[in-house]
Amino acid sequence: MDELELLKKDWKKQGENYPRHSYEALSKMIWKRSSSIVKWIFVISILEFLFWAILNIFLADEAYWKEMELINLKEFTIGVYIIGYAITFFFIWQFYKNYIKISSTDDSATLMKNILKTRKTVKYYIGYVIISTAITSLVYLYFTFKYHMNNTAAEEAVSYDFNFNQWLLFIGMMTIGILVFLGIIWLFYRLLYGILLKRLSKNYKELMKLQI
Amino acid sequence: MDKELEHQFVTNLETNQNIVHKICRIYTNDQAAHNDLFQEITIQLWKAYPKFRGDAKFSTWMYRVALNTAITLYRKKKRGIQTTDYDSVHFRIQAEEYDGEAEKQLTLLYSAVKELNDIDKALVFLYLEDKNYKEISETLGISEVNARVKMNRVKTKLKKILNP
Repeated sequence: MDELELLKKDWKKQGENYPRHSYEALSKMIWKRSSSIVKWIFVISILEFLFWAILNIFLADEAYWKEMELINLKEFTIGVYIIGYAITFFFIWQFYKNYIKISSTDDSATLMKNILKTRKTVKYYIGYVIISTAITSLVYLYFTFKYHMNNTAAEEAVSYDFNFNQWLLFIGMMTIGILVFLGIIWLFYRLLYGILLKRLSKNYKELMKLQI
Repeated sequence: MDKELEHQFVTNLETNQNIVHKICRIYTNDQAAHNDLFQEITIQLWKAYPKFRGDAKFSTWMYRVALNTAITLYRKKKRGIQTTDYDSVHFRIQAEEYDGEAEKQLTLLYSAVKELNDIDKALVFLYLEDKNYKEISETLGISEVNARVKMNRVKTKLKKILNP
């Protein structure tokens, strides 16, 4: 195509017209702070892992454990915690492994793939948090319900004296509440990473269009 | 030791900085963005430098890291005002060498390239830099056949932009 050849000719001619930075300016520049997308993903991911870990620790105070004992779920809760932390550490390990694989000296396709992989690990982690929170919440809800049902007859406590339909309504509303809460969290993550990775995902798709 | 490495790197960079400027020219529209991207590329180059073994030419290695920064790693900063005419002010100094028709065509071509997506820009850039398909495919991580097909599509795209 002659148009591109014309452009090439001019491109070469323009070669000497570029600005030049001095040695001093360049040696200052290399120590400036990077604002690369990988750094952002790394920082945000670490904050996410920390957020859920800290939330867990703070929520599980003494009153919480007493409550668990009351509804016969102490052992269950301990089990959930142990499994939960094991899974979290597994995710952190995966994330770290993917992260150190990212290298700007790879070819573009590999680089993009590796970045998307670290992001995917976090995505799965968030998915896991949301699903496991939903499941454990429902289990607790069920046991709370069962415990109170067992006790209301003996106690005759007016405030607990829900009939079956009222309980059903209560559980239904709680479930919807939990789902809405988790949905909002999910949306937040989609948005956060959506904005961060929009350009990268687009470029990756563009690059891969012909590969198959 | 580190000082030595730094000196070596900056010297190399100073000699080859044109490559970075050219990439910035393709990917940005104003001087502020040009400087921004230039800075991010130098940071990424310096971060990757310990991995540079010297088995490739410094400039070849630079193409890869710099392009990766432009199309993958770099996060554009939000900027209010876009100053245009960047091309004509900074790079079209030798304009008088061309006759009117060629000049007009070149201006059109440059603005057509600006309209391409990031990947197509990379292809055009490597093409303008006289890279062969093998090098293009290795830099971008696609097969040689794909690089060829893509390049042809870019040419068609450019033609369409020029003659709608």
